[in-house]
Amino acid sequence: MKRLLCTIAAAALPLGAATAQDAYVIGVSGAMTGPVAANYAPVVEAMKAYLDHVNARGGVNGRQLRVLVLDDQAQPSRAATNAKQLLVQDKVVMLLNASLSSTYAPMIAESKRAGVPLYYAGAVCPKETYPPADPLQFCSTAFGANLDSQAALAFIKRNSKDSVRLGLAAMAIPIARAEIDYAEGLSKTLGMTPVEKQISPPPAPDYTPFATKLKDANPTWVWSWSPWVSQVRVFEAMRRLGWNGRYVTWAHLNAEEELARIRDGEFYVIGTNAFMEDNLPIHAEIRAVAARAKLDYPVSYLTEGFVAGLVVESVLRNTPWPPTPQKVLAAMNNVKVDMKGLRGGPLEWTKDNHFRTRQHYRVWRWDPQGGRIVRAQDWQAIEVKR
Amino acid sequence: MQLAVNILVLASIYALICCGYVLIYRVSRVLSLAHGELMMLGAYGLYATASLFSGHPLIALAAAGALALAVGVAVYFALMWRMTGESVLAAVLATIALGILLRGAMILMFGTQTQHPLRDLGWTNGSLEVGAARISAVGLALILSTALVYGGLALFLRATRWGIRMRAAGQHPLLAAQRGIGLHGIYALAWGLATFTGGLAGMLIACDAGLESTLVIIGLKAFPAALVGGLDSLVGALVGSLVVAAAEVVLIHYVDPLLSDVVPFVILLAMLVVRPWGLFGTREELDRV
Repeated sequence: MKRLLCTIAAAALPLGAATAQDAYVIGVSGAMTGPVAANYAPVVEAMKAYLDHVNARGGVNGRQLRVLVLDDQAQPSRAATNAKQLLVQDKVVMLLNASLSSTYAPMIAESKRAGVPLYYAGAVCPKETYPPADPLQFCSTAFGANLDSQAALAFIKRNSKDSVRLGLAAMAIPIARAEIDYAEGLSKTLGMTPVEKQISPPPAPDYTPFATKLKDANPTWVWSWSPWVSQVRVFEAMRRLGWNGRYVTWAHLNAEEELARIRDGEFYVIGTNAFMEDNLPIHAEIRAVAARAKLDYPVSYLTEGFVAGLVVESVLRNTPWPPTPQKVLAAMNNVKVDMKGLRGGPLEWTKDNHFRTRQHYRVWRWDPQGGRIVRAQDWQAIEVKR
Repeated sequence: MQLAVNILVLASIYALICCGYVLIYRVSRVLSLAHGELMMLGAYGLYATASLFSGHPLIALAAAGALALAVGVAVYFALMWRMTGESVLAAVLATIALGILLRGAMILMFGTQTQHPLRDLGWTNGSLEVGAARISAVGLALILSTALVYGGLALFLRATRWGIRMRAAGQHPLLAAQRGIGLHGIYALAWGLATFTGGLAGMLIACDAGLESTLVIIGLKAFPAALVGGLDSLVGALVGSLVVAAAEVVLIHYVDPLLSDVVPFVILLAMLVVRPWGLFGTREELDRV
């Protein structure tokens, strides 16, 4: 019996290798489980479902796409092991990261060692992807440090007749604190008065003490840029304390669902991905693909993953067979992906800019009279420069 | 006034969580490091019963409470019972393993999305005026639940036969056993009550702030309050929670919100230096551990 199993295993090995040789193989290390999985797992699963859908349509350049997903639980040591395995064993031509920023360093090191491009999909875009970009790092994730605050404060300014007393709220994680510090400085140059800045630890048992101090400063607007839990809990606590100002916050994956839950006309979310409510043809495709793949997440969580899927498909379509990391890199350095309405314009990477050349922002809120989500501002573009 | 309300709510959260740590330690000398996970399991229990008994929130709440109690008893008979007579370290390690197992199982069963049990119950978290301050409905429920739990436990431990047996088993298990007290029954009850109170805390926190996997960390955040008060004293758990909550809220308001994460451990370190057995703990018990 043991000999039979060994024979079957030995026979299966070259078969597996042949399959890999006939396909474009890319590898993902993502936080598929663990405390932050809710932010990353839907992106990876949606991207994989979309690429399976591409395979069902015949693949890319007549070849199948093979996506290998390894779970790093947002732990740097696991991310390092995953990257090694994907690069050395599986010989992937593109490495993807969908995890916390603490996993970046080991993956960057492995990507550099192997000369394989590293693409952040759903993970925060590091500054190395902005122009002048690191040759090997690319990013398509919706949010962009500094640009988001520029867009949010511009929206606040456009919608304020009187002088703005600005409250700022963030979670005590480096990236969120840096962004909110940037927003504080920027608000002064725009003639606003930053009245209070609250940084809450992740997670807090009760956000009311933080909200109390923010509310006591009597801001007319609050801008919060953090993981969703921190953004929305501070807002809800402020409302319960009787604050009736306006609150702008980043549109994370669950923003559409949450706007419908919170139902507050003065709670705004700003983001760069279209909402399912827009009902574009691509949204019908997302619904169909999600149903076929039996994804557990609400379809409104899947846009970011589809964006990543469109990018991967586009890059590999421009990568001649047989693929090598160098050919993939060349394709990534010169790509313009049609977002089919999921964003305000195409996603364009150049040799110098691995983030995008233009970032488009929309703002949504809940309309209490109409009982639905409405746009508070349509696409506004910001040029991404050096 | 608002600060006082904020302190009371935060202290209630800590006290409700601490109660479980103290009950188990006081009765069986085991430090349960799976308490955060059991607390989260209680909250997921409410999420499940809210869907199961849709439109009947009180039944859903009662079912979730009963489920938490049953889970605690089951944990004792399935795992901790086998630790009787083993070293304290072995029992603590068993609770760590249990915590890891529960965390993985909950992600597999319920996924990683944030859930909102309060919405599933058909309720909203309104705001009430208390003098010049405001308190959320769930905040008020937290304070009342804590008062009921601690009042009920005091009554149970002092005035009922099972409560007196529990105290006896905690004070001297050998003598208690020689007097015919069934220790396994008492320990199982302690685990059941601890999981019930922890689960209740988890349910109320989830009703207030949503249910997600970070709830486990909140379970650990309450641990310093239990140690400050004294790990074998329920009164200590109340006082410790109040001290830690007051320090956090005052620092958030008057100094720097970032200190709120650090201050419980500063107080804990100070207490360990000055009075390692806590404000109301028993010195002898600590020496034994």
